[in-house]
Amino acid sequence: MAEGLRAWAQYLALVGAVWVCSQSAQAVTVLDDRQQKVQIAQAPQRIVSLLPSLTETVCALNQCDKLVGLDRYSNWPESVKSVPRVGGGLDPNIESIVALKPDLVLAAGSTRGADRLQALGLNVLRLEPRNHADALRVWRTVAQALHVPTADSDRVWQGIQAGVQAAVQSLSPVARQQRVYFEVSPAPYGASESSFMGETLSRMGVGNILPASMGPFPQVNPEWVVQARPDVIMAGDSSRASMLQRPGWSRLPAMQGQRLCVFKQGDSDMLVRAGPRMAEGAQLMADCLNRAAAQTDIGEKR
Amino acid sequence: MLLTLGLSVVLLGTAAGSQGWQAWWSVGADAVSHQIVWDIRLPRSLGAWLGGALLGLAGAVAQGLFRNPLADPYLLGSASGASLGVGVYLSLWGGSAWAMNAWLGLGLTGAAFVGAVLAVVLTLLLARGVQQTLRLLLAGVVVGVVLGAVTSLISLLQPKVLQAMQGFMLGSTAFVSWSACATMAAVLALCLALAWVFARVLDALSLGEATAQSLGVPLPQARMALVGVISLATGAAVAHIGLVAFVGLAAPHLVRSLVRCTHAWRLLLSALMGGALLVLADVVARVLLAPQELPVGVLTAVLGGGYLLWRVYRDADSGVRS
Amino acid sequence: MSAALQTWQLSADLGGRRVLQDIDLQIAAGRWTCVVGPNGAGKSSLLKALAGLLPLSGQVLWQGQPVASLTRQQKALQLSWLGQGEASSLDLRVWDVAMLGRMPHQSWLAAPSAQDAQMVEAALRATQAWDWRERTLGELSGGERQRVLLARVMAGNAPTLLMDEPLANLDPPHQVDWLEQVHCLLAQGTTVVSVLHEIGMALHADDIVVMREGRVVHHGAGRDAATHAAIEDVFGQRIRIHALDGQWVVLPRLGGAITSID
Repeated sequence: MAEGLRAWAQYLALVGAVWVCSQSAQAVTVLDDRQQKVQIAQAPQRIVSLLPSLTETVCALNQCDKLVGLDRYSNWPESVKSVPRVGGGLDPNIESIVALKPDLVLAAGSTRGADRLQALGLNVLRLEPRNHADALRVWRTVAQALHVPTADSDRVWQGIQAGVQAAVQSLSPVARQQRVYFEVSPAPYGASESSFMGETLSRMGVGNILPASMGPFPQVNPEWVVQARPDVIMAGDSSRASMLQRPGWSRLPAMQGQRLCVFKQGDSDMLVRAGPRMAEGAQLMADCLNRAAAQTDIGEKR
Repeated sequence: MLLTLGLSVVLLGTAAGSQGWQAWWSVGADAVSHQIVWDIRLPRSLGAWLGGALLGLAGAVAQGLFRNPLADPYLLGSASGASLGVGVYLSLWGGSAWAMNAWLGLGLTGAAFVGAVLAVVLTLLLARGVQQTLRLLLAGVVVGVVLGAVTSLISLLQPKVLQAMQGFMLGSTAFVSWSACATMAAVLALCLALAWVFARVLDALSLGEATAQSLGVPLPQARMALVGVISLATGAAVAHIGLVAFVGLAAPHLVRSLVRCTHAWRLLLSALMGGALLVLADVVARVLLAPQELPVGVLTAVLGGGYLLWRVYRDADSGVRS
Repeated sequence: MSAALQTWQLSADLGGRRVLQDIDLQIAAGRWTCVVGPNGAGKSSLLKALAGLLPLSGQVLWQGQPVASLTRQQKALQLSWLGQGEASSLDLRVWDVAMLGRMPHQSWLAAPSAQDAQMVEAALRATQAWDWRERTLGELSGGERQRVLLARVMAGNAPTLLMDEPLANLDPPHQVDWLEQVHCLLAQGTTVVSVLHEIGMALHADDIVVMREGRVVHHGAGRDAATHAAIEDVFGQRIRIHALDGQWVVLPRLGGAITSID
């Protein structure tokens, strides 16, 4: 009898211990961008994301089905296209978000929208990855917040990094010698070494005509670009028309043939978002650089 | 006169209430979310009314003080000051890891308010006091232009600020909370009281500066107080709902075309009218493209501009001087 | 006769130009003094200086007291000033405009008293503007507006009235009305000082101050021949003053030919 009781007590203790452990294991505290602690009691089941890179992170961690609301700019993967939109990152529709009853809101930086949502009692996690270091931190934080086992999230991250490494290694030696000008918008604003795209280029060992000292996205004087004579120009669709009109640009060698890489909107997204698609983005850039180096005149197909 | 007052209040009531059934989703079933929705919509509508009232009051005071029917509350540079405050705040603390709570919990609203008030102080310094109205006006224009240029410079140097700034410039009631309403209500009460006390001065001023002086009006003190009213009211409104155009300009005009009265009543009615106008505009902004929202500033510009155009044509036709 | 207004070495500058130069003047109480002179003589500036509305050097005394020592309200109670061409906004009602004249008598936040209403009504009736008391200034013609502004000045019931070009835009019947009003005010002991372009009207005044280029060149009774000579002189002998039916008329002196109408 005593034996039975003892066994039962042990069993209870074990169950109790497991239960206690699992409870405490469920409450997670993460640090957001402002080094503030955010406590997430259980694995979130209804997530609203207001930043495309965060949306992609959630999906890469296999939690896509938990997304109930997205900002209007999130467009990958295809499955999220059916998720209701709740405004933009800077102008979220407070009512819509609250009505979705999310248990976690992923927002960028310190916007008034995030403050208001927090004041209304929602759990808001502020993250905004701006470079490669950020990307890793945000990746880990989101994984923790979503209660994804560390082993799984690390594994996926390793996969992404391997992809980036592969892109780096796919560069031909000639391609690596080139200097790049990456144009972000037709103002013209360029991406310097300290931006996310710049860091990707630096990982590939390729030069950037805009040094880090200019800030991540300096507004460039077009003449300066002419003087700097980049070997390759990478730009989005919207820039191409205005580029031809800038004085001296049409004669730039970088404007000829394959040395000018124009990315469609969907591809640009991949390049600029500091999220899980950085490997694909790096590969895009590597392909562009290789083609430019080869200087062959295959029709532009991207 | 009282009819107009009643009308304005009734307008507010229906406007605030109409969102309930004009909503683009029905919240009848869930009592909890119904409560939450009113926790969002009610402060928003109230905030829109308070912001509109502040702007209407400031506009009426500005038009009386400068004896110019085209004066609006942003004349003394407060709009540019608020934008600059927002720009500086965003560029310094926009995405950094600095805890914003350390900065006296001021936040974006505080920055905008401080910016607006500082801009008016700068205008006063430039005009070397409130001695001459013309100098005050000119100084206000100069300050507005210069601060605007500085703001543009900041958004050039820090492009990440650009989008947030644009959101601010277009005006929106989306982020108005109960505490914001309380602040605006307090400022409104203070400004109304102050303006009421000096309403006589505005009446006397309407006969000319020298005449007002000969009537024994304490002009310098009154001007100072009224400029203070304009800057406080505008600063508070802009800080919470952004730059909303035309409400401060159109509300006093509407009041003037409807009712003949001295400034004491006109100030109060302009506040009420401004509040009603902005709530109306806010409701339309939310409903027009549901589920998307238009920035309320865009709507007030369109409506206000249209109204003023209509006034110009109507007066040109009938030959009546407005 | 005591001096209602007195100046001592009064000088004033306006926009860098000296508009008043060393003026010593004594305006008698209970009499009507008229200031005449060519354009730019400084007549309006003199009135403004007397009202304490212009920065000046020298002294201005009201009833023997220096103006600087009086409070704003005391000044407003003692002296009403009507400016020339003061830009006014046009959406106040006539009644409200006239009520503004009562401002010095009203305490800061108080509503108009019964006495205020009485004074306003009396003033509006005197200028025959009572029927339009509900209309705004913008709906009135120039002359009608002027009458409302006159009512404002009179509603204040101040012992001294300074009026700059009070007859602007007024048609002859109302100019005569104004004359009668002045006589009525004088009977009550009010001191009236006016600047008039209409010399014919000015000649009805008790005293006339003739000004030229910021100085007073003559100050004497309106009936005196010396005064008439001074007026003719200050206008470059282009006019002649003649007696007619117990009053004085002003005739132009055309190109040398002298026409006698006696």
